[in-house]
Amino acid sequence: MAAQNLIETSDLTKQYGKNICVSHLNMQVPEGAIYGFLGPNGAGKSTTLKMLLGLARPTNGSITLFGIPVNEKNRVRLLTDTGSLIESPSYYGHLTGEENLCIIQTLKNCPKEDIDKVLHIVRLEEARHKQVNHYSLGMKQRLGLAAALLGFPRLLILDEPTNGLDPAGIQEMRELIRTLPSDYGMTVVVSSHLLSEIDQMADHAGIISRGRLVYQNTLEALHSHARQQIALRTSHLPVALDILRQNGIEAAVEEDYLLIPMTDDACVAHLCRQLISQNLSLYRVEKREKSLEDIFLSLTGKEHSL
Amino acid sequence: MKTLKMEFYKIKRRKTGLTLGAMTAVQFLWCVWAFRGPDEYERLQGWLGTLYSMPLLNSIMMPTIMAVLASRLADIEHKGNTYKQLRTLRNAGTLFNAKVLCGLLFILMMYAAQLLFLILLGHSLHYEGRPDMGLYLRYLFLSIACTFALYLLQLTLSMLFFNQMIPLVTGLCGSMLGLILMYLYNWNLRSLFPWGGYIATMFVGADWNPQTRIMTYYLMETSENGLLSHGFIFLWAAVFYITGRWLFTRREA
Repeated sequence: MAAQNLIETSDLTKQYGKNICVSHLNMQVPEGAIYGFLGPNGAGKSTTLKMLLGLARPTNGSITLFGIPVNEKNRVRLLTDTGSLIESPSYYGHLTGEENLCIIQTLKNCPKEDIDKVLHIVRLEEARHKQVNHYSLGMKQRLGLAAALLGFPRLLILDEPTNGLDPAGIQEMRELIRTLPSDYGMTVVVSSHLLSEIDQMADHAGIISRGRLVYQNTLEALHSHARQQIALRTSHLPVALDILRQNGIEAAVEEDYLLIPMTDDACVAHLCRQLISQNLSLYRVEKREKSLEDIFLSLTGKEHSL
Repeated sequence: MKTLKMEFYKIKRRKTGLTLGAMTAVQFLWCVWAFRGPDEYERLQGWLGTLYSMPLLNSIMMPTIMAVLASRLADIEHKGNTYKQLRTLRNAGTLFNAKVLCGLLFILMMYAAQLLFLILLGHSLHYEGRPDMGLYLRYLFLSIACTFALYLLQLTLSMLFFNQMIPLVTGLCGSMLGLILMYLYNWNLRSLFPWGGYIATMFVGADWNPQTRIMTYYLMETSENGLLSHGFIFLWAAVFYITGRWLFTRREA
């Protein structure tokens, strides 16, 4: 049986004046997934997440959370099973970390023991009695995550949670997010403008560019698009193309190169001998790889749909 | 109820009570100075005299005090960037109501302290007879309503603007306007300004005799215009509440 989608949006659109921030977005987040919501800065990631949380009103379209269409009446009730960290963390600087969590715990109506548990998870136990104004940015971010984890909700929505963190903090945050589905049965939506970050954390990805969802599938499927090729540069391209065809190989021409699918070393050696035997000069033989970065750039820069 | 409880929890260590206490203490000190050394005649009408003076004093000080109170309650949310988190936990209307109620409780405490102070002051200055509690309750009711209307205005401004100078300057201007309105003898015009409510709803008048330099206080009859002034206070409160709540709830986080 296919996993239920915890989040489904249909034609979700947000327009500010003439500026369309999010356009006809159909997002599907399966239960138990870590859904990486990827896109360049200003692509519409935060606006989409804000709409999911009811912080921004959609101009058009609908949102379904936990299989229930969201409206103004049931929004807060549905969000009780959701934790969120949107943009910068929210906190009362004059209160201690524990007091900040106590406010959220009371409003979420979850057990008081959860405070100890989430402080342990984000490793802020020692700083629990310290005023948040005296926390480092990384600690504030971890406190924000702790607040989102209170009540151990089914769905966690994190908007660029590694923003402002040092490399160690980023690594720590990633590790933590990766464990949430397996340890606590949570579904996580995490946004980022960094492909590498999503690649290391998520198992599903949605790529948004200029407000439009240009890719949505598993990360594995995205990886399958990252293919390797062999590039050949010879003195006479049309002749070389014929020789390759005679050997049963279809090649593509790209600038001065012939691109053939990845093959073994013996086959490459055989093709090279064939080309040289026909008095062609062989200038270069290169291994080319279309990386995830290339795919991301082609999707977000040129908006080709996969 | 939980949201209201959290409003008080959030202002822990913010010394909001102390700030209001200090401003109220200034008001009390002003009274001590103004009512000092009463003669026999002043003692005779002392209780009525306080009911004449206090609305004037409130008119000058309360707009600023309300600006400070509203700002103290609202700016913690701006500083901590907390509205977006709170709005995933509660409806915007509930959050607004909690701030309104929190402020109202502070106002009630301030006026309770004011009542206690006036009674203690009157006794310490040996005013004749006992205070007429009916008149004092009337004064409290009208003053609280007027103060609450101003608080609603200030709260809306404080919640909408990140920069708290805008609401604070509005409060200070309100105080100045309150002072100017005292010299406005058209009572109906006073009612048109929310800051003029204290003066417009006064029910104790004073006759100043320049020859004898004696002030005689008297109870004014509530005319139709007076009732209209009372109505305006509640109208302002309703307008500020409805507008403020609407502006706050429609705003996106």
